[in-house]
Formats: sequence, structure tokens, C-alpha cells
Amino acid sequence: MADTPKKSTQSPTKKLKKQTTSPFSVSATPQTPQTLDPPRRFSPRLSLKPNTPQEPVSPIEKTTKDSLKTPPNKLAEAPPESRAVSSKTRRNLSNNELKKTPRGEKDNGCSKTPKSKAEVLDVEFSPVSPDQSETKKRRRGEEKEKERTVMTRAMASKKKAAKTDKMSGKKRVYYKKVVYDGGEFEVGDDVYVKRREDANSDDEIPELEECRVCFKAGKAVMVECDDCLGGFHLKCLKPPLKTVPEGDWICGFCEARKLGREVQLPRPPPGKKLARTLRDKLLSSDLWAAHIESIWKEADGSYWFRGQWYTIPEETSAGRQPHNLRRELYQTNDFADIEMESIIRHCYVMNPKEYAKAHDEGDDIFMCEYEYDIQWHSFKRLADIDNGEEEGDDSDIDEDWKSSKDAESDTDEDVEYEDEKVKNLQSTASSAHELAANSRKGKFFGLQKIGTKRIPEHVRCHKQTELEKAKAALVLAKLPKSLPCRNKEMEEISAFVKGAICDNQCLGRCLYIHGVPGTGKTMSVLAVMRNLKSEVDAGSIRPYCFVDVNGLKLASPENIYRVIYEALTGHRVSWKKALHLLNERFSEGKRNGKEDDRPCILLIDELDLLVTRNQSVLYNILDWPTKPHSKLIVIGTLSLSLSLPEYLYMGIANTMDLPEKLLPRISSRMGIQRVCFGPYNYQQLQEIISSRLKGIDAFEKQAIEFASRKVAAISGDARRALEICRRAAEIADYHIKKLSSNHNPAPEGKGLVGMSEVEAAIHEMFQAPHIQVMRSCSKLSKIFLAAMVYELYKTGMAETSFEKLAMTVSCICTSNAEAFPGWDILLKVGCMLGESRIILCEPGARHSLQKLQLNFPSDDVSFALKDSKEIPWLAKYL
Amino acid sequence: MGIENLAEKAQILMRSRLCSPNFIFKPLSDSSDSNYSKLKFIISSSIIEACNNSILLLGPRGSGKVAVLELVLSDLLEEYPDTITVIRLNGLLHSEDNSALKEIARQLCMEHHLLFSKMASFDDNSQFMIAMLRECGLAHKTVIFALDEFDLFAQGKQRLLYSLLDAMQTVTSQAVVVGVSCRLDADQLLEKRVRSRFSHRKLLFLPPSKEDVQRLLEHILSLPMDSSLACDYAAEFNEKLQSILADKRFKEIISNYLNSNSTTNHLLRFLFIAISNMELKSGFLSLENFKAALSSIQRQPKQECIKDCSILELYILVCMKRLEVREQNSYNFSSVMQEYKSVHDSFPTSDYYAQNVCLRAFEHLLQRELICFTDNRGHSQSIEFRQVKLVVSYAELQEGLKSYRSCPVSHSHNSICF
Repeated sequence: MADTPKKSTQSPTKKLKKQTTSPFSVSATPQTPQTLDPPRRFSPRLSLKPNTPQEPVSPIEKTTKDSLKTPPNKLAEAPPESRAVSSKTRRNLSNNELKKTPRGEKDNGCSKTPKSKAEVLDVEFSPVSPDQSETKKRRRGEEKEKERTVMTRAMASKKKAAKTDKMSGKKRVYYKKVVYDGGEFEVGDDVYVKRREDANSDDEIPELEECRVCFKAGKAVMVECDDCLGGFHLKCLKPPLKTVPEGDWICGFCEARKLGREVQLPRPPPGKKLARTLRDKLLSSDLWAAHIESIWKEADGSYWFRGQWYTIPEETSAGRQPHNLRRELYQTNDFADIEMESIIRHCYVMNPKEYAKAHDEGDDIFMCEYEYDIQWHSFKRLADIDNGEEEGDDSDIDEDWKSSKDAESDTDEDVEYEDEKVKNLQSTASSAHELAANSRKGKFFGLQKIGTKRIPEHVRCHKQTELEKAKAALVLAKLPKSLPCRNKEMEEISAFVKGAICDNQCLGRCLYIHGVPGTGKTMSVLAVMRNLKSEVDAGSIRPYCFVDVNGLKLASPENIYRVIYEALTGHRVSWKKALHLLNERFSEGKRNGKEDDRPCILLIDELDLLVTRNQSVLYNILDWPTKPHSKLIVIGTLSLSLSLPEYLYMGIANTMDLPEKLLPRISSRMGIQRVCFGPYNYQQLQEIISSRLKGIDAFEKQAIEFASRKVAAISGDARRALEICRRAAEIADYHIKKLSSNHNPAPEGKGLVGMSEVEAAIHEMFQAPHIQVMRSCSKLSKIFLAAMVYELYKTGMAETSFEKLAMTVSCICTSNAEAFPGWDILLKVGCMLGESRIILCEPGARHSLQKLQLNFPSDDVSFALKDSKEIPWLAKYL
Repeated sequence: MGIENLAEKAQILMRSRLCSPNFIFKPLSDSSDSNYSKLKFIISSSIIEACNNSILLLGPRGSGKVAVLELVLSDLLEEYPDTITVIRLNGLLHSEDNSALKEIARQLCMEHHLLFSKMASFDDNSQFMIAMLRECGLAHKTVIFALDEFDLFAQGKQRLLYSLLDAMQTVTSQAVVVGVSCRLDADQLLEKRVRSRFSHRKLLFLPPSKEDVQRLLEHILSLPMDSSLACDYAAEFNEKLQSILADKRFKEIISNYLNSNSTTNHLLRFLFIAISNMELKSGFLSLENFKAALSSIQRQPKQECIKDCSILELYILVCMKRLEVREQNSYNFSSVMQEYKSVHDSFPTSDYYAQNVCLRAFEHLLQRELICFTDNRGHSQSIEFRQVKLVVSYAELQEGLKSYRSCPVSHSHNSICF
């Protein structure tokens, strides 16, 4: 982000909430009752116009009661062994099953087993366990009962909800968690939603999935086919399986169908219909799934929620794509207000990471990696998957931020939704009112247009080789889980930050971190802040706000005021106004709200960019911490201590001597505290690289050592070391792929990145390619260069004029029976060399007055030209 | 069809070949050592593996850096339709950060059919760029920034490069920066923070070797046997061409031409002239065409300038030279006039011109850049008093005088005696 620094506002309300275990934000805001849109669905296939079901349906009630479940992550902790045995519960309907990894599977659209058409099995049924090379275990058994841990909290919330209900009277009341019909629904949950009222009338929801062969549910372990998602008892298979196979497993029917044979599925025993689970219904678009965005109670007492729809691949414009998994859903950007009545029960939509880990968590798990834009019919990866993985608390921040805003006004959000809808309508209706994408008043417009029409296949179905894995691990962008070799510095920083925050004395302080690029300065600070954030969440530290500015991304140094102010308050003002307001806030101690009282940590990257002529920016920024603090300390009352602002500044700059460069009045404010990030030595670099490559067998050990030694000797820049290794892996990969594309048998054991690749990468990175260019340049250029060297030795002067040089060249040419090309051509040759910066020269318009100088040592030229086959006599002059 | 008609067709075909980089560089791109396949591998692997990369293409002008890049890009656009957005910038046009960012925003808007606003500020544009990079990354779209004249971007504070390369340090973005520069030390120009974020892939483009030139000539000049051109004509044409290509004199011409500059582009320029010289009547290329092309392309502009000078202008040049020989390093028009007078006194001729005439001749020489002012200072001074210097060298002047047909005796005498 160029100018909007990342903000991590920590709402104190949240902490409070945690301590008192009140599970929802009690915020009743007046709201004019608005007409509700009927749940909107986008699919053109919809034949029935859905409307909100009004009457309570009894089967649903039953199931909602029954299907109360804990969130999946709780279940994940349960040891798998214990699961198959204990099956006491009637409530839990779904079977356990192992999940496939999101990559890997490629199903060719083999649709679900036709249930009604199943005929008598007259062919010997033998689902063979397919002999796939990489098979994974999957198992289907009874889910263990391990829930009900949250019951008390739910009850509490129910009670609380009732209370607020009375309080709010006729207004809409928003809840975070609601117990409805015995099911506990929280904002952020995923649920099945009835598609039409009579959805449940035709058949009831089966309690347990039944085996496709014996049509009994039973407690025995079942295995799920990756293709048709049908369940099979291990013992019902032919030949029976002892254990759940590793990897993908496809049942015999699908196997046969793939081979093109007619398959007849076992027919259920007479009088028994093959029941369809909710999952079946959802995937055959008889049901919907939605993500709960907010829950509220209308004035008339009915409970509603705003849901974000999920859609199945078949309902998108692209249809089911070959790489789609059976259990894949897309999140849409379509919202609807739905009555709680129409919820059937929970389902669990996970991101690919969780999904890959989820082994046996029931039937109601789905995988969602992409968002589907219903207007533009395009796909986009869900952003929070990456973020959530990289910085575990990003989502927390968001939630915090939102909840603290929610406290102010709930209406705002709703209005915003409305706005959005209106805007969407507008943009589709008339493009005349479209807003420019790149100018923004708080946000950009039209970015939702970007998205792929189809998800490219190479993204999902690509099996990574070891080398590719290594390359991916070495990418700079990838933040490592841990930061090796910077523990001492991080401790120092975190001690400093904590010291400044935790002091009730409100000490504004400066910390000055310096070190060469690529030594992990920013990363360490951010890591420290992350750790602190978790401590804040745990309640051991008071909340603070953190503003992150990068000097190099500011259009001008003065802009920093604006950026800081925007980060703190969210308002965009001119920098002069911002300076004024910040001055008010920091030096005069004027506070507007409670939020302002928090200590503020300002991280300024590339501090040296803020140095202006009179250094007023730096002065102001470094002056603020000293001011309010001295003032408030004089007052020194403990009760005020909470509201004492504490400003903490950290400048990060690559120039070591920044304090010395500054005017004395600034350097005196800068304080003495410095942390130095020295360049990494080779052991550290080696550790950094190996920690990234853990578990990937792609590099020879000496190769890593060689790269790290080389980088340590030159700069100690970790980015360089990583890049060298990545490049080396790339070179190796290139060679292997080229070999295999030429149908040569790839030499075995050559998969490792060795010394030669690393050397090539180092050479590419650090060596200027001038010698190669000199070797391959034209004949006259070579003579020209040789003449320059000759001239240099003759006169001892580095600089020469074109006139003198041309004389030398003509001498050389005549004495070696070479035609002198003429002055003008020679001048052109010189200018060409000057363009490549092999020589330094003045513009060619100076002609004979032009001054020339070699840009590289004359030894390099001699080395390059000595053994040229074209003009062997050139060696004489070198 | 008459032979002229055929010849014209052949000429058009060959010319159009010369003008399309695709045709020129395609055959050179098959081997695994070629820059084409290396570049394509780097870019396509960063598309597939969704990672960020930055590459520098270095090499002398005319060696086909941009042509190969465009070739790779067009191939990739075919291979991965609508997952690639190419942003093209040129250092000569967009070296200023503000305008460069605006241009990036404009092209991004164009590509994605968004509305672009000219009024957006630097901050807006840079945030828009980062937001777009993120969105494109999420949609599995790769943004390729092709920065021509990369060295010109590496001036000043390099905010553009920094924000570009820093945006590429996040997982969600998916971008490739390709810098094209003829400066071999282009990566050394980067500021240390920028350099640290640059991934330092370098591809070096070198002029073709002798064998490659030979192959290239054949590739460009030989006519296809299966096209609309008559088969027998094409066969005859190719046969004649082979004999020319094998001719020793032809090889001499080519090597003479490539002596000064052996890049591909330079060769193509030569071939273009040669083909344009082709006689339509005979319908075939001949050695004469190439010879004529060589002489028309290898010219000595300064010497020709001297040849075009008037007698008076030559006088002035010679006088200036005499002054310089006497190691009088700073002189102006007045001292040249004195010299002119003294020369005229010692070798009286019929043509002696007044000072204002001489001044006119002097100005003319200035305009033709045969002489120049020593420095840029003193713009307020009149021309007579500003210091001047001779731009052509003595040897060139001497050469010019020698070949001057109607040169007066005194002149040649003059010029020989110093």
C-alpha cells in the first residue's frame, strides 16, 4: 500500500467482551423498517421464484435441532482412531470421511450416481481398489460426538438476546450469535438454506449416509469415492478393503464408467428409497448454502439474517470445469436477507488449506477457494485465504475494525449495502455515471470487473516438482513462518515497544533501526508487532494503534502527515490540514474520542526520504513524542494514565549516519536508542535458506553454502541469497524441461541444484556482462577498444579525445594492412560503445573534440580481446 | 505474368519480411540457448507458478531485445489468453514517476475496460496500481511491465521502480517486470533498496555470429517455393541468390559492412536498401545491388560537408586550423579575421571578402557544425566575440581539401605547409 498504512485498530470493547464473556455486541440502533428484498438468486436455471418461507416447517426444526455441531476445527483435534468406534449419537448424521487434497484430483465431470435409475445388479459387482500410484487414505466412519461445548455460551446469548429484545422495542436488533430452533448460529457461519418451501416434503433428510452397496448406514467405516461422492462400507467392497486407502480413491463404478463400460449400480432393496443427504441436494442445486453476514431481529419479532450466497460450479456461467472438485463451492458477491426459518442446518465451507487437513468431519464440508462475480461472471481467488495463512491475525484485525465501527452505527453498514446494490444497478443500467477507476474517494471503482472467466487449469491441476516447490519456497514475497537469526534484535525491539507502551508514564520515544537492505528490518518489526497483537488479544497489554508508513512511497515528504492522519482517523484531508490536526492531537493533547487515547506506534520505513531542505517534516515527527509526554507527566495523575498518549516512533533507514546528517535539534530528539541490523553472515544465510527449503529435496548442501558464502562476502543481503538460489533452481529446471522436451531421457539424479547452477546464477547477478559483449562486438569496435588501451598505456592518461584516438586507430590500421574506415564511421562506433557504457564518452556532436574514457579496467579489455580469432594482431596493442 | 510483376511481388514480400521482427527472430529462437526460449521460460513459469520476477534484457542497440520480448509476449498471449496484461512504458516518455504511474493506471484501465481519470493524483494512481496488482493476482492474471530504456527509469529517487518492486513482494500479486536497456550497467544504476528488491535475472543479447548472419541472409532473401509466386521464378531466384551468397565479393561486402556494427538491425537496414535497388526488369538480385547499397549507406557526412563548402568557408576553416596549429587555443571570429588578412597578405588572390561577408560564411559554418563554440556561456555576446573551435580534425580537413576540385593553389599550399 503506497500511502494508506496498515491499520490495526484494537477496540477496547472487544477485550471487555472477552472478559465478561458476553458473546455479542449489544448494539441497538434505530432503523427505519425497510422493505426487504426477497432472497435474490442469480441462476438463470432457477425455475421457481424463491421467496422467503413464512410457515415453519416441522422437519426442519427437527433437523436443525439435531444437527447442532461444533465448528469443524474443534473436531479436527479429535484423534482419528477413536472415531470409528464410538457412535452413540443419533444426532450426528453425517459420516466421517477423509478429504482429498484440493489439487490432484481431476475429475472429468462424472456426475453423481443416478439414484432412481439404478437397476438390478446382475453383473458381478467388484469395486476394485484402483492401482493408483499415489493413493491417499480416506475413511468414512461414524463421527465422534464431541460437541456441545459451547452450549452454555449459547444459552447465555439467548438470554441476553431476549433481554436486549425488550430493550430495543420496535427496532431492529443485531446479534452476533443467535440460538434459533435449538441451533446456534453465529455471524460468519455457513448454513444450508431451503430453496423452496416444499423442498423437504418429498423426502426426509437421511440421518446417516448409506452405503451404496448394502444400503445400510451402520457404524462401520465407510470410504468415499472421490468421483461420485458415494459412500461404501469397507467390507462391502470387492475385494473388501482392510484400511482406508491413502490418496484418491475411486469406486469401481466410476472406474468402469471412465473406461467406457456400461455400469449398473446396485439397486436399493425394495421398499427402501435411496435417501439423499443435504449435501447431495446442495450439489444438485436443490438447496442453497449461504454465509451469514449479520443476524438481526425485526420489529415484528422474526429473525432474519443477511446471507452471502454460495453457488455450485454448475450454476456459474463457466459451468463445471474439469478441475473443480466435487465438493467445491464458489462464494458469490450476491447478498440477500433471509429469514432464519429457512435455515436447515450448518454446513462448513472451508478454504483449501483447512479442507486439505479436514479428514473426517462429516458430510457437510465444502471447499471454497474462489469468489464468483454474478454480474461479470468472473472468478477471483478469495483474498483472505492468503492473508489468513501468512499473517494469522489479519482477519482478527478486520473483525476488530468492523466491530468497533459497528458500535458506532449499525445503520451505516446497511445503508452501504443498499448503496452497493444501487450502484451495481446503476453500473449495469447506464455506464454514463460510471466512476473513474483510478481516482478514488476512499475506494476504487470497477475493480470487481477484474476476474477470470474461467479458472485457468494450470493453477489447479499442476503437480509441482521438487524444483518448483523449491522455487516457490524461495520466493521473496513468501513470508517465512519464523525469522531465523534475528532473535536478539527482535527481542530488543519488542522490549522497547513494550517498555514504552506498558509504562503508565507515557514515554514518547524514538527507536532508530538501521542496517543494509535485505537484513530483515521491516520484517522483524512487523513480526514483533504481530506478536504484540496476540498479546493484546490475550489482554496482557493495553491496546495501541499501529501506523505503518513507507517514505519511498510518499509522493512528497509532507504527504506523510496526510497519510498518518488518514490512518489514525480515516479521513482524507490536505497535508497542511493534517499537520494542523496532528499537531493539535500530539502537541496540544487534544483528543476527540476514546480511540485517540491509545498509544500510537508509528513505523516509518525509509526514514531518510523524509529529509527535506529545512527538515521540518522530520523535526515535527520527532518532536511530537517529546511534547505531550512532558506536559502530561507534570500533571501526572494515575487516573489519566489510560488516556495518556504515548507515541513511539521507529525510523528505519539504511543510512547508518542519519542522526549525524540531521540538524542538531533533530538529532537531539532522535534519542540514543538504536538497533543495528548487521549484514547476515554466511551461516545465517545458510540457515535462512535451509529453513525455507525444509522438506524439499532440491538443493545440494554445498550449493546452498556456496551461495550464502558468496552473498555474505558481498553484501549480506538475504534477498540476494534467496534470489540466487531461486535463480539456480530455475536454471536447473530450465535444463531439465528442455531436455525432456527434446525427448532425451532426463538423466536420473540430476534433479538436484548443484554448484554449477548456483555459480551461473551468481555470475548472472553480480557480473557485468561487458566481457561477453566486448568479445562479440564488431571488428571495428574491437580495434577501437584496443586503440584506447594502447593510448592509455602510451600516454598514461585515462581520458583521451576522439581526434587522438582516430589517429591511433588509423596508425594501427595502416600498419596491419587494414582499411581505415573513415572518421565518421569511427565516431559512430565510439558512440555505440558509449551507449553500452563500455566506454564513457561525450555526445557525438562534439566530434573530434569528444572526450573518451574506458569504463572498465583496461585489463578486462585485454582479457576479452587478446585471443580474438578475427584479428589476431590485436594482441600486440594490448 | 511478366517477370516485372513477379519481381515486384518478390520485392514486396522481402521488404515486408524485413519489417516484421517476428519473421526475423523466429528461426533463431528454437534452440534452448536462445534468449527467446530463456525469456519465455522465465515469464511463463512465473505465470504458472504465480510468482513475481524481474528481468533485465541487456545488449547493444539493434540486437533485437524488444523484438524478442514482443515475440515472447505475443506467444504467451496466445498460450494463456486473457490471463496476461501487458503494460508498456518507455523511459524516454515516462521517466518521470508521476507520468509513468499515470500511464500505468491508464493502460490498466484500458485493459480491463475501466474508466480512467486524468485528474488522479500520484497517490491515487499508485494505490490504484497496487490494488489492481492484488486483484489481478487474485484472478490469476499476470501483469507484465515492459520498461523500455530501463536505465532512464533508474534516475532520481526511483519511486516508480520501488513501488513496483515493493508491490511485488506480496504473495497475492503476480507481476513480471521486464527492463530493456542498452546500458550494460543498468542494474548498477538502481538505488540500493530497489536493487535489493530486484530479482536480477539478466539476459544478454549479442550480435549474431558469422554463421548466424549467413543463415539469416538465406532465410530472408530466398523466396518460398509454394506461394503465389511462380515456382520456376522462385527457383531461379533462389539459385541466383545462392550463387551471390557464395560469392567471395559478396562476403567481403557484408563483412565490410558489418565491421562497424554487426547487430541484426544494422544488417536489416542494409538489406532493405539492397532489395530496393533490385532491378525489376531483370527480376533478380545482383551483386551490384549490394554494392550500391553499401556505398549509399557508408557515408562520411563531415567530409561531404567540407566538399560542399564555398571558397571563403574553406579559407576560414584553414585559418582556424592555422591558429590551432600555433597552439592558440582560444580564439574568436576577430582573430580568425586577422589570420585571414595575414594569409591574404602573404598569398594575395583576387578573392578577398569584406568582414560582413566573412561573418556570414562563419555563421554558415557554425550551422553546419564544422565549427562550434567552445562553451555554452556568453549567449548575450555577439557571435564575433564568442570563442570557437574547429570540430573537424586536421586530417579530415586535409582530405576534404584534397578532394575539392576547384581548390585554389594557395589553399592546398596552405594546408600542406602546416
